[in-house]
Amino acid sequence: MKDILLDRLPSLRFGTLRLRIAVLFTILFALVMSVVLVLVSQSIERFGERAASGDLGANAKVVDEILDLRAQQMRTSAEVLSRDFGFREAVATGDSATIASALRSLRARAKSGSAFVVGLDGSMVDDGSGRHPPVDSIWGPLDDGNQKGLMRFGGEFALAAASPIEVPDLVGWLVVTQPLGAREMDRLAKLGAVDMQARVAAQSDLPDWAAASADGEVVEAPGQDDGLYHVSRLPALQDGIEPRLVLQHSLTEALAQYSSLRYLLAAVIAAGLALVIALGFRIAGTITRPLNRLDIAVRKFARGEDATLAVEGEDEIGRLATNFNGMVQAIAEREREIIHVGLHDGLTGLPNRKLFVQQLDEALSLRQDEDRILVAYVDLDDFKVVNDTLGHPAGDALLRETASHLRKHLPQAKVARFGGDEFAVLIKGIDPGRNLTALADEIQACFARPVDLGGHQADSSASIGIAVAPGDGEDGITLMKHADLALYRAKRDGKANHHFFEPSLDEQARRRREMELDLRLAIRDGGFELYFQPLYDLRADRLQGFEALIRWPHPTKGMISPGEFIPLAEETGLILPIGEWVLREACRIARAWPDNLSVAVNISPKQFLAPGLATTIMQALSTTGLSPERLELEITESVFIANVEKTLGTLHSLRDVGVRIALDDFGTGYSSLSYLRSFPFDKVKIDRSFVQDLAQEGNAHAVIRAITTLAEALGMDTLAEGVELPEQMEILRREGCQYIQGFLLSEPIPSAGVDELFDQMAAQPKQRATG
Amino acid sequence: MIRTISLLCLLVAIPLTAAWAAASVPVRVQVVDAKGVPVRDAVVEIDAAGSEGGRITFPWRMAMAQRNEEFVPGTLVVARGSTVAFPNLDKVRHSVYSFSKPARFEIDLFGRDQTRTQKFPIAGAVALGCNIHDDMRGYIRVVDTPYAGKTDNNGMLSLDAVPNGSATITVWHPRLRAPGNEMRRTVTISGNSNRHRLAVNLR
Repeated sequence: MKDILLDRLPSLRFGTLRLRIAVLFTILFALVMSVVLVLVSQSIERFGERAASGDLGANAKVVDEILDLRAQQMRTSAEVLSRDFGFREAVATGDSATIASALRSLRARAKSGSAFVVGLDGSMVDDGSGRHPPVDSIWGPLDDGNQKGLMRFGGEFALAAASPIEVPDLVGWLVVTQPLGAREMDRLAKLGAVDMQARVAAQSDLPDWAAASADGEVVEAPGQDDGLYHVSRLPALQDGIEPRLVLQHSLTEALAQYSSLRYLLAAVIAAGLALVIALGFRIAGTITRPLNRLDIAVRKFARGEDATLAVEGEDEIGRLATNFNGMVQAIAEREREIIHVGLHDGLTGLPNRKLFVQQLDEALSLRQDEDRILVAYVDLDDFKVVNDTLGHPAGDALLRETASHLRKHLPQAKVARFGGDEFAVLIKGIDPGRNLTALADEIQACFARPVDLGGHQADSSASIGIAVAPGDGEDGITLMKHADLALYRAKRDGKANHHFFEPSLDEQARRRREMELDLRLAIRDGGFELYFQPLYDLRADRLQGFEALIRWPHPTKGMISPGEFIPLAEETGLILPIGEWVLREACRIARAWPDNLSVAVNISPKQFLAPGLATTIMQALSTTGLSPERLELEITESVFIANVEKTLGTLHSLRDVGVRIALDDFGTGYSSLSYLRSFPFDKVKIDRSFVQDLAQEGNAHAVIRAITTLAEALGMDTLAEGVELPEQMEILRREGCQYIQGFLLSEPIPSAGVDELFDQMAAQPKQRATG
Repeated sequence: MIRTISLLCLLVAIPLTAAWAAASVPVRVQVVDAKGVPVRDAVVEIDAAGSEGGRITFPWRMAMAQRNEEFVPGTLVVARGSTVAFPNLDKVRHSVYSFSKPARFEIDLFGRDQTRTQKFPIAGAVALGCNIHDDMRGYIRVVDTPYAGKTDNNGMLSLDAVPNGSATITVWHPRLRAPGNEMRRTVTISGNSNRHRLAVNLR
């Protein structure tokens, strides 16, 4: 039971603001009105009392006046007799019988209660009724000259008037009385303005509270009904009586006439209360209705719906609505900004990968039957070079410039930047008849143009991989993957190329992934082998050393050529552990060779980019004990593309310990002579393509001569690769090339083959030299 | 000054009267009210022991005139048996009545320059009124002694040659608060220094 009550308690709280305002209004009004009612009631009571008091006072005066007037009349009628000569004579001569008869006559005429004559000598002659007070008690007041006043005889008060009897000197007084009985007093009381009771009482007969009251004061009777009493003196014509006029007025009656006023007030208050309740609800409504609308709007806004409020008026509520609308707009604006930032590239303002995927998905879902959609992945060529040589600001400028150019020149396309130098282009709604190659050329043309980068003129170009829906895939993920594969392929094809996706690319990619896994296994399990190809010194006519060449005898696919897996290893970074292994293994094996034989090891540019190449080489040398002079590192020009300073530093440090450095594949690629000048190579290896041409007619041997002459001038040895024919060897010897390498001497042989070769050489020391 | 002269005259006269009536002395009576204020027009009578009989006469006129609706003089002292005239000096008519025991009479209205008379055979006070003018009051004190008179403005009455011996002084005044409006005192008249001061209560 108690729990139920406690549970209910909170429900007594106001559920709505409207109800609360209305109820508070009402309570406040009711409180104020209660106070007003109490005050007014008290005021009415006071006013009623005061009015009753005033009425009483006025009535007392009226009664006084009436009594006085009546006494005056009585005196006048008495005077008629008292001045009558005959009556005076009767009085003067003491003719009692005559006097008595005259008094009776007077009594009848004046309709008075009694009449009598009081002699100056204390005698008394009455009208025979005997209704008179003792002479002793009235002689004094009469002798004092009083002519009106009250007397008391027979237990009753009577109004008396006295007229002196003078003959001509005063001999007595003619007194006429009129009883003031209850009936008479009632009649008097009726003459007043208000209803009241009147009586005459002796002072001694009054209760103490009334007797103590001052003359003419209005007192409230204690302990009785709410009667108001007015006690006033009346003149006495008799000693020993103290007549008091007592007027009594019922306060209840006096206030009764105001009770209707009170009811009226209560009715007015009740009506006001009803009005306040109604108005309170209404006013509260005007406050809470906008609040409710705001509440609904906020909820709608939270759901992401349109929550704009109608603005009504310019008051607080109007301002609130305006501000709310402003807030909604500001939030929506910020939301758009955030979405924009989330879906766009900050640098170029182009959509990012996420938005591009959305756009692509959208385009795919809306694709018509015959329409095609082209997705192109674009990679800026040599962006890294621009960044490295001209700085990042220049790189950023290139990207921005490219983006704006794309926007301008490919208006039908949606262009996105994926980060770095990667862009993507989406062209939808391509009709079946459109030549896609031309379209690809168009895209290519947008990138292939000179760009001004803060004063530097840079040639910009890009590699582009293209996939086309629906042929190359129906969904965005597949399309993008295929475009990426095509890009990979295009980059492999060289700069400023584009390549359409073809299923074989997919196959190649799959193979590459497989091979990468196998490479990792091979590195872990030591699955590589080193083969060695002899390097022959034509001038000394002897074996100079061997070039170490890596071989990968795959467990299932057989021997895999380095041309196939080295690029993959370079891409994946696996070249570092492989290169390290090659170095150690080459050094280890060469250590067992005769001291005059050296070993040449190819170093990938990637190895130069990674830190610690010099350390790796030093460790390989120190652990195997191979003399540094017997180690020859073969590098290509491409090592200089990135971070020339660091590369040169590494090369010099290696050279300083005695390691020899050879420039491989000279004559292909950049073939910049500045490389030859920038580093004192020990040897220049002439590319096999020059050697192959030697057998044919042409200027090949002129090139050979030029290279050998140049190398000699720079103090470098020269070695020709790919020598297969004795004629080639002869020409090379003639043109001044010191070393040769090639199938003419030997194909690459395993380590065991090298040992066998040493054994043969030991058995036939001169055979090779002469042959 | 005048007083001094009259006193001197009085002193000169005393031996003369003494020689003429050997047992008489002058008496001075002063009447004052309760507050000591002199009372005028109070009638003082001295009932001396050895007063001789015979007709009593007073030096003033035995008349009570009506002038300006007043009795003039207001108080008149007359000897018993005197006849008093009531001459009407006003243009209006007056009546004169009395209900006093010593003399009850009524004189009907009479006109200007008419005179009525009335004889007062009994000693006592007689209050006179006019039947048509209530305010008119007059008093006639009928005395039975020659040693009587009314006080002057100083409440003083001087009497020559009052016989020595025990005497009763009666003071009457219409407003004197006592039965019969009179007060008595017994005194002894002898030798010199017969000065009497009587205090009365007035209404």
